[in-house]
Amino acid sequence: MKEQLEAFQAAALDTIAQADTLSALEEARVKYLGRKGAITEILRGLGKVSAEERPAMGQLANVVKGAIGSALDDRKVELSATADAAREESEAVDLSLPGRRPQRGHIHMVNQVTEEIIDIFAGLGFQVAVGPDIETEFYNFDSLNTPADHPARDSHDTFFVKPGVVLRTHTSPVQMRVMEQVQPPVAVLAPGRVYRVDYDASHSPMFNQIEGLLVDEGVTFADLKGTLMHFVHHLFGKNTKVRFRPHFFPFTEPSAEMDISCTVCSGKGCRLCKNSGWLEALGCGMVHPEVFKHANYDYEKYSGFAFGLGIDRIAMLRHAVPSINHLYDNDLRFLEQF
Amino acid sequence: MRISLNWLRDYVDIDVSVEELAHQMTMLGLEIESVERLGDDIQNVLVGKILSIDAHPDADKIVVCQVDVAGEVPLQICCGAKNMKVGDKVPTAIVGATLPGDFKIGRRKMRGVESQGMMCAAQEIGLAEETDGLLILDEELPTGEDIKSVLGLDDIVLEIEVTPNRADWASMIGVARELSVLYGTELRVPEVSLVEQGEEIDSLCAVTVEDTALCPRYMGRVLTNVTVGPSPEWLCERLLAAGQRPINNIVDVTNFVLLETGQPLHAFDRDKLAENRIVVRTGKAGEAINTLDGETRKLSDDMLVIADGTIPQCVAGVMGGADSEVSEGTTTIFLESAFFAPASVRKTSRGLGLISESSQRFQRGADPEMAAYALDRAAELIQDLASAHVAQGVIDVYPTPLVPREVTLRYARTLRLLGVDVAPETQRDSLERLGFEIISHDDTEMKVRVPLRRHDVSMEADLIEEIARLYNFDNIPVSLPKVRPCEKVFAPDEKRIRAFRHFLVGLGLAELYNWSFSNPDEVQRAALPESYRKMIVLENPLSEKQATMRSSIIPALIGNAARNLNYGVTSIRAFELGPVYRPAEGDTLSTQHNRVSLVLAGDVEAAHWSRPARAADFYDLKGQVEAILAHFGATATFKESDGDTFQQGQRAEIKLGKKVIGTMGRVASAVGRAFDTDQPVYVAELDLDALLAQQPSPAQFQSVPTFPPSARDLAVVVDASVPSGELREKAAQSGGKLLRSVEIFDIFEGEQVGAGKKSVALNLVFQSDERTLTEKDTQKAFDKVLKRLKHEYQAELR
Repeated sequence: MKEQLEAFQAAALDTIAQADTLSALEEARVKYLGRKGAITEILRGLGKVSAEERPAMGQLANVVKGAIGSALDDRKVELSATADAAREESEAVDLSLPGRRPQRGHIHMVNQVTEEIIDIFAGLGFQVAVGPDIETEFYNFDSLNTPADHPARDSHDTFFVKPGVVLRTHTSPVQMRVMEQVQPPVAVLAPGRVYRVDYDASHSPMFNQIEGLLVDEGVTFADLKGTLMHFVHHLFGKNTKVRFRPHFFPFTEPSAEMDISCTVCSGKGCRLCKNSGWLEALGCGMVHPEVFKHANYDYEKYSGFAFGLGIDRIAMLRHAVPSINHLYDNDLRFLEQF
Repeated sequence: MRISLNWLRDYVDIDVSVEELAHQMTMLGLEIESVERLGDDIQNVLVGKILSIDAHPDADKIVVCQVDVAGEVPLQICCGAKNMKVGDKVPTAIVGATLPGDFKIGRRKMRGVESQGMMCAAQEIGLAEETDGLLILDEELPTGEDIKSVLGLDDIVLEIEVTPNRADWASMIGVARELSVLYGTELRVPEVSLVEQGEEIDSLCAVTVEDTALCPRYMGRVLTNVTVGPSPEWLCERLLAAGQRPINNIVDVTNFVLLETGQPLHAFDRDKLAENRIVVRTGKAGEAINTLDGETRKLSDDMLVIADGTIPQCVAGVMGGADSEVSEGTTTIFLESAFFAPASVRKTSRGLGLISESSQRFQRGADPEMAAYALDRAAELIQDLASAHVAQGVIDVYPTPLVPREVTLRYARTLRLLGVDVAPETQRDSLERLGFEIISHDDTEMKVRVPLRRHDVSMEADLIEEIARLYNFDNIPVSLPKVRPCEKVFAPDEKRIRAFRHFLVGLGLAELYNWSFSNPDEVQRAALPESYRKMIVLENPLSEKQATMRSSIIPALIGNAARNLNYGVTSIRAFELGPVYRPAEGDTLSTQHNRVSLVLAGDVEAAHWSRPARAADFYDLKGQVEAILAHFGATATFKESDGDTFQQGQRAEIKLGKKVIGTMGRVASAVGRAFDTDQPVYVAELDLDALLAQQPSPAQFQSVPTFPPSARDLAVVVDASVPSGELREKAAQSGGKLLRSVEIFDIFEGEQVGAGKKSVALNLVFQSDERTLTEKDTQKAFDKVLKRLKHEYQAELR
């Protein structure tokens, strides 16, 4: 029986070594180790072996079975690797061919910048407020300390819908609409479409502004400076320089304009900044007592600041867009660049 | 306003560089628009002395001159002018010179004779108006000297933007005063010395002010023996630097004094005034005036005019009349200096559509005290420059002198508002330097009297701004406020709108941004229903094409698609989120609604080496709309719609319950052509407010299946008219709880299924939460579905 087992092992190992496909190997497994396979036959003969020899034979049979089993496993690994290699070779791709790229969408540049600005101020605790595009003269002008005969109205070339009703010339009326609804503290940011009768390479009759307003006890001009510098450093980078200079707006006192160091020349002087090194970024100031009066806020108790900035201009500065008209041209060759 | 530095130095010493000065002015609130170096466009023009003038051998109209410019040898220059003689000094542009207009002077031959430069006329070096011949210079000027320093062409002009609150800044003295305050130096206001002589003014002119509300102060002087003529060089230089054209000595003096003091003046030819009278009154119905600009203007009864005994001769504070204009023959002048009510001048100026240097200053508020000084200053200059006699006496109708405002400032409020502690002495000192008179002060507050020129200061905050300006905004510290939460959320939908925008971009769409205006005819061109034609109309549109506020975004998107297709863009997948407007009934403003609109055209899938391009079709659009509805958790239905905007058979209205919330389809060919495209364009527009109102509650957990699904395909043949989507719905409803999903995977029409029939192939997925399904389970459910479809649609298993 020992010889029989040894011969069996030799034959099996030979067959396994000969098997050159996974299916041939499977056949060999069934032939030698299967339930109806050769080993079963041999083991059936174990009963005829003497009782003394039986344990040794049994042990040998197991060794043979183990050897064949591990040979099958090893060969299977080999054959699998070969088969995989062949398949992989046949499936090789041309790396130089372009992939199937999903078409990507694009947020309009104005909204990209709007969202970014909102996020910066949201981090400070400001929330978004909105107001209508078609406004009353009261909200757009009168309540903002700009009565009918005020010369400041001249700088707002206003679209009229009917007497007393205008397309808002700035987002500032949202200030008043907000203040009418709550007593301080209030901290809002109001983005939106605004309109002026003006159309050339640097003016669009419709453009976008963001208004900011903070009113509470103890709000100071220093807070205004700090808040807006925080904003500039987040939007334009830490190295951007900021300056505040006196200006005039009817609805703030004191009023200021904020300049940032030129985004092109970093303040050295170039065509964009007319060699001044500075770019006008926004208008701001401490909310005027007359505005508080309209809002029914106590000027003795509260103070606040407001600011308004042109989103389009900031978007154009950031992306070096030469004319505002690109923004509302809806030319996909432009829009898909951003 | 243009500020000449040479001129400004007449009033205040300036010891800093132009750059520093520009910065200082900016930080005071005088915004610098530009810095212009006047002589920059003139190079190498020298004072030349004409040594000889000889005839040109071949040309009658040209002479050949030898001109000394203090070089090694004289220059030979050919010249066509006739007004010069030997010994004259003239501006001489040498070879290599540049003149205004980037005109370069080179060596050249004129009719065969070499010319080594050019002798210049006044206008050629940017001086006055057209003159005949060369500019003959003062013979004392040193030969060879640079013409720019000799003629003051080395001036620097700062263009400043005067904010509407500061009328007092619209003058040389006003700007100089601000700088003298900053520097703590003296402001030099020229002293006036005039000699009154001859007749009393009352015998030469009578003044009546009928409306003292619109004209609180009216002053006048009369000058006789006037000789009208050109102004001297220094005066021309000043005016030119300020951007004004010299006219004659009288007009130039009034303009000069206006620029110097900010006080507008007007000179009348007294002999043209009927009855030698001035009447300050409002216009009368039917009256008109020929203004100096050559127009005839109708007057109304709320416009203040300066009339003579019969007719208006001047629109008060706005513009003079042509009839009494000072001309060459004028010998007697009535010189006006007044203070007109700002609001009235503004109204008149706007009413006439006439803006002048004068109206701009009056409407911001002139200085009633400056009126007196300016009048004397101008009279003095006319006396000197037009060898005139100043008649004795001055007219001054000022029945109710303006009373300076008194304002109290609490020192602590400065800290409260600015966030910086400015010492009370510093606060007082700042205001005093600016000309505010301290009436009283104690430990906590001060009371000041505001100069009449400061129309902008009426309350405490205004004084704090003045203190802040002098303190310099740059020196105010920087802090971050503690923002406390507000009790109200103002725009709860904003975050959802933003998330939705990002969702749409995630679908591969590009965001468009159209103007809110619309062309009134585009609603018709897009064949939108009648309800869209009620639009808000602008009273003063930019043009007829932007005369209405859009009632839909659809026309704009069709137009955008057409234009992009015409540019050669091959794939258009875009959206706009934005407002549309409707006129409201009654007194309310209008209504504004948010819409989301989509447009697809061209290829939705670009050509790739692995597959051809695929053009957009209805189902691409519907898929996008379905995705949007799903985003909002909305279950909507699509119903065949009518109307001419979309092509028949490819149009639908989108309904949420019974409410129509949107419309979509393939743009009808006729509409496409009306927007200049013949390619298929697909558009949808949905009511974003209705979608936002859906407010889906947070999704609730459903157990994740633990047993495997079992799929079966079912193909049935039905009438071609059966809506496949409806069939799918029915199948889904009839399979019992084991049927988890039904999807259509094939639609087939053709001979094999018979005419008028189609095959709809469904993929049914069965699954149980309790056990692995057996063949028997799925067959039972499958049979139920088939039975239902047979019953509903006479479906036959294929």
